[in-house]
Amino acid sequence: MPEAPAVQIDNLSKSFDGVEVLRDISLTVNKGEVVSVLGSSGSGKSTLLRCINWLEEPDRGSIHIAGQRIGVDAQGKRMNNRDLAAIRAKTGMVFQSFNLWPHLNVLQNVMEAPMQVKKMRKDEARAIAQTLLEKVGMEQKAEAFPYTLSGGQKQRVAIARALAMSPEVILFDEPTSALDPERVGEVLTVMKNLSSEGYTMIVVTHEMEFARAVSDQVVFLEKGLLIEKSAPEKFFTNPETERVRKFLELST
Amino acid sequence: MNGQAWLLLLEGAWTTLWISSIAIALGVVIGLGIALLRMARIPFVEQALVLYVSLARATPLVTLVLFIFLSAPTFGLAMDRNTAAILALTLNTAAFNAEVWRTAFISFSREQKEAALACGMTNGVFFRRIMLPQMITSSLPGLVNEMSFLIKSSPAIAVIGIVDLTRVTNRISAVTYEPLPPILAAALLYMLIIGVLLKVQAIAEKKANRLAM
Repeated sequence: MPEAPAVQIDNLSKSFDGVEVLRDISLTVNKGEVVSVLGSSGSGKSTLLRCINWLEEPDRGSIHIAGQRIGVDAQGKRMNNRDLAAIRAKTGMVFQSFNLWPHLNVLQNVMEAPMQVKKMRKDEARAIAQTLLEKVGMEQKAEAFPYTLSGGQKQRVAIARALAMSPEVILFDEPTSALDPERVGEVLTVMKNLSSEGYTMIVVTHEMEFARAVSDQVVFLEKGLLIEKSAPEKFFTNPETERVRKFLELST
Repeated sequence: MNGQAWLLLLEGAWTTLWISSIAIALGVVIGLGIALLRMARIPFVEQALVLYVSLARATPLVTLVLFIFLSAPTFGLAMDRNTAAILALTLNTAAFNAEVWRTAFISFSREQKEAALACGMTNGVFFRRIMLPQMITSSLPGLVNEMSFLIKSSPAIAVIGIVDLTRVTNRISAVTYEPLPPILAAALLYMLIIGVLLKVQAIAEKKANRLAM
């Protein structure tokens, strides 16, 4: 049997107050792949990402993380919180607004989940956290508290925090949208390095150059529909739909 | 004022301190419990708690102390003065503390919870490790403020015959016919106690600033 994909989404639909924000979305992300999700604001791309780790509950369809269904148990009922947390632990998420825990310093932010969720020993968690902070270039700030950091630094810590659980997939929700322009590069560089190290990533972004250089697949959402899914070269040079052509014209 | 008078004053200060401390400790924990229950929005329980909080906040402490001490026998409860005093102070301070805690709950950011859930924490772990420590830090200035209010309004317990730091000054001046020295000495002792609390509050505020992102 071939290895289960990191993320498998089948026929996913979701509405908020009667407005359909996701319509029958299917998408497979294999291990080691980087998938960029593009689309204008309100197209449903953030909702799609937040359904993958069940921060939003979809109305229909299914999502499997490394072969395991999230949110719904074997009887077809809503999963209990403990099981849900166990599957969520297989995903990592990086938020637009960083969402670091302000009462913990940088090192503690990265160590917290491995110690509390995986019950890892403190020295082991510390060693992993230090390695990851080096990976994102934040080892000098290990003892600093989040409020002393710039946006780019916070986001790099948030990436280390997500990596600390060794997730099957890392979900990036517009990770550079809240940053000053001169801070965007440092975060994108970290993300590029991760992709070349073989991490599986799903990235909701407006960074066209990044999507083109790093992705294995680019998908485009429009009013909750997945209207295009292609390799980056094809997507950016010869898109199939008129809508994507227009989007690319307006955003470059 | 002689040595005997100072000894009486210190005894009064000790009475004020231990009764207030027990009420403070109980009031902080019960206040948190009330805030948690109110956030759970259980029908009837919530209305009952809202009623309790409004009543406790609206009742003067002297009235509450008298009511509890005098009505206890009616309910078949044998309650000594000290227990009645602690109960009254606790009921009063818990209501104010509940509001302080509740504000900390309401203002807690959803984003931090999402970050915790996203890395596999259960709601319980999130509350214990992420939310509660921050709630304590951000509530501490308000809680300490309420503690100093409690100590300053604790002379109300003298109404049921407890000789606290204020009451003892009357006793001394009844003998010496000089009311000023014991009152000044008592004020000094109150200032010492409140001064310690203010120091704690300053440290708490400094720590709370860290949470402002």
